[in-house]
Amino acid sequence: MKMIMDEIRAEYVKELLKEGKRKGDRGFDSYREVSIKNNILKNAEGSCLASIGKSKVLAGVKIDLMEPFSDRPEEGVLMVNSELMPLAYYSYSAGPPTPESIELARVVDRGIRAANVLEMQGLKFGDKVLGVFVDFYVLDNDGNLTDTATLAVMNALSNLSIPEFNAELNAFEREKRNRKMEVKNRVTTSTFCKINGKILLDCDVEEENAGSGSLTIGVADGGFICSTQKSGSASFSKKEVMDCVDIAMKKHEELVRHIKIEG
Amino acid sequence: MEKKIVTPGELLFDFPKRLSGAYVENGKTYSSVVGVLSEGFFIPLRGRYAPFPGDLIVGVVMEERFSGYLVDVNAPFPGVLDSRDLRVEFRIGDLLVARVDSVDEVSNLVLVDPKKLLKGEVIEVGAVSVPRIIGRNNSMIDMVRNITKSEVFVGKNGRIFIKNGNAALAAEAVRKIADEAHTSGLTEKIKNFLEARTNEQSK
Amino acid sequence: MNKANKPELIIDGRRTDGRNLEDLRSVKIESGVLDNADGSAMVEWGNNKIIAGVYGPREVFPKHFSDPYKAVVNFRYVMCSFSSLEEHSRGGPNRRSIEISKMGKHVFENLILTEQFPNTAIDIDVEVLQSDGGTRVAAFTAASVALVDAGIPVKGFAGGVSVGKVDGRLAVDLNKIEDNYGESDVPVMFNSSNSEILLLQMDGLLTREEYERSIDLCYEASKKVNALQVDSIKKKME
Repeated sequence: MKMIMDEIRAEYVKELLKEGKRKGDRGFDSYREVSIKNNILKNAEGSCLASIGKSKVLAGVKIDLMEPFSDRPEEGVLMVNSELMPLAYYSYSAGPPTPESIELARVVDRGIRAANVLEMQGLKFGDKVLGVFVDFYVLDNDGNLTDTATLAVMNALSNLSIPEFNAELNAFEREKRNRKMEVKNRVTTSTFCKINGKILLDCDVEEENAGSGSLTIGVADGGFICSTQKSGSASFSKKEVMDCVDIAMKKHEELVRHIKIEG
Repeated sequence: MEKKIVTPGELLFDFPKRLSGAYVENGKTYSSVVGVLSEGFFIPLRGRYAPFPGDLIVGVVMEERFSGYLVDVNAPFPGVLDSRDLRVEFRIGDLLVARVDSVDEVSNLVLVDPKKLLKGEVIEVGAVSVPRIIGRNNSMIDMVRNITKSEVFVGKNGRIFIKNGNAALAAEAVRKIADEAHTSGLTEKIKNFLEARTNEQSK
Repeated sequence: MNKANKPELIIDGRRTDGRNLEDLRSVKIESGVLDNADGSAMVEWGNNKIIAGVYGPREVFPKHFSDPYKAVVNFRYVMCSFSSLEEHSRGGPNRRSIEISKMGKHVFENLILTEQFPNTAIDIDVEVLQSDGGTRVAAFTAASVALVDAGIPVKGFAGGVSVGKVDGRLAVDLNKIEDNYGESDVPVMFNSSNSEILLLQMDGLLTREEYERSIDLCYEASKKVNALQVDSIKKKME
């Protein structure tokens, strides 16, 4: 159920748009302020708090040993999961993951997996393989969670340190972290919303509520597109899609500056 | 006379025209359901019953409430009979004929003038074939009535109530009309069908 | 899949099943295959076998899920427990099928004239009986026919296909083996009446040119799928 205030704010967004304007006089293809805080947690092997505008996503990575998949005995396993925390937005509630939450995790995962951000081949420890468990928690939803979460996860992975493996104990020594995991590719996503036929980059939650759907384009280093997700009931023409691709490729250069390897 | 079967999304008219089974986009009219385009008319062949004020419908009482009855009318939402206006009582499962008094944009459907239907058979066909079952100036339905000697009431909502006479044959004929609603020469076909069956049975 | 054991998938421009790069597999569509559902369709697409059924518009339960402005579209895509060549699966929804169901909901929210039926629900149920790669586009193709069979007003058909990169080359409509070793996957579906894109997902690494070419190849194939959808409906009207 949509709250009545959402509808009023959505109407305001559409009114502004009729005059070719956007809240805060932002351009149609510009981002809000991006901020990144890496390694803010001690126990997680990698962590990052990323925000775009007022949206906040906290990503944490835990490293574990696990049984390999039968068809990939020599390969480590990467898992990406999302939590839409009840404190992040009035319509989120505790319970099993919603379709929105699953879609968000899978879209973030898709680009990172496709671009081979981490080399998972040969990550074998004894009879086990390395499991990289990435969980990102949405703390505050002000729209464009996909791009915010991708930045959070990319930063957490870029600063991921692997604990020392003790072969005798067949376990990790968690305190001894000396090896940074190599990041082989950098991925960013750019998400556009369609509102009354107009296409806007990086929408806040009011704009998202006013819109009828979104298009996420994932871009990897070297001029490659690595993921796409059209979501919501809006349709896009091919030209609109390719225009979004062109903007996303340009924005990749801007966004990768926010993926930092610290210390 | 050229007849063309049309599927959804096909251009019907290059000007805007509001009609059932069609939609308008960029000033042009497109089909939204399967239908027949014939001599500039579009006749939908599929579609649920959409209630319209004045329609006489055959309904089934679903639920009794303090203020009245909820009646299933073969539409996406039920109709309401206000018990204050009623002289008869109904039970759940009762069949009735009623008139659509009003229907609003949020699917509130008000029924009036209910009459109980007793001891008969009800069959359901697509509401879009109702005009064919009735025929021009009642020609089709009168023919079915005359040959089968049945009382046949055709609800606008695609429910047909049949009793007395050769009710089984009347029901079969009505189903046949609904199935072949889009074909031409239907009156003749149904006439032959009914006569052949009647002769067979009188032997 | 273990990429090290990858077989050669394109030999002299031909694929493992003898197709050219731009060929669809054989696609058969039949409408009206079920009795109880308001509309239904069966699609046999290569070795995929998929059945779709539609109910509605009908009352919404529970009531607070209804929308006073339009019909609510519910879409459920599920793989049967015996649908894949691999081990018996748990059946029912998993993370993948929940995401695909959400995509299906979006496609048909666009296509159905939902504003004609406020406060009602339209329920679309698609079961993958046998899977062989490209089940999502085949499932949505079937659902689109089932909706038309049910007489639910729509703006057109949703038709399309998935284009992937195999052995470094773009190929239309990947089968299971090609999909397993595929370097990219771009499923795209179009509205038959206005060529608008209704479904677009992608993973892999593609240049801008390859990306655009993938969409173009999907568009060409969608026209063929659409013709089969129309035939399946017209056949029932003869």
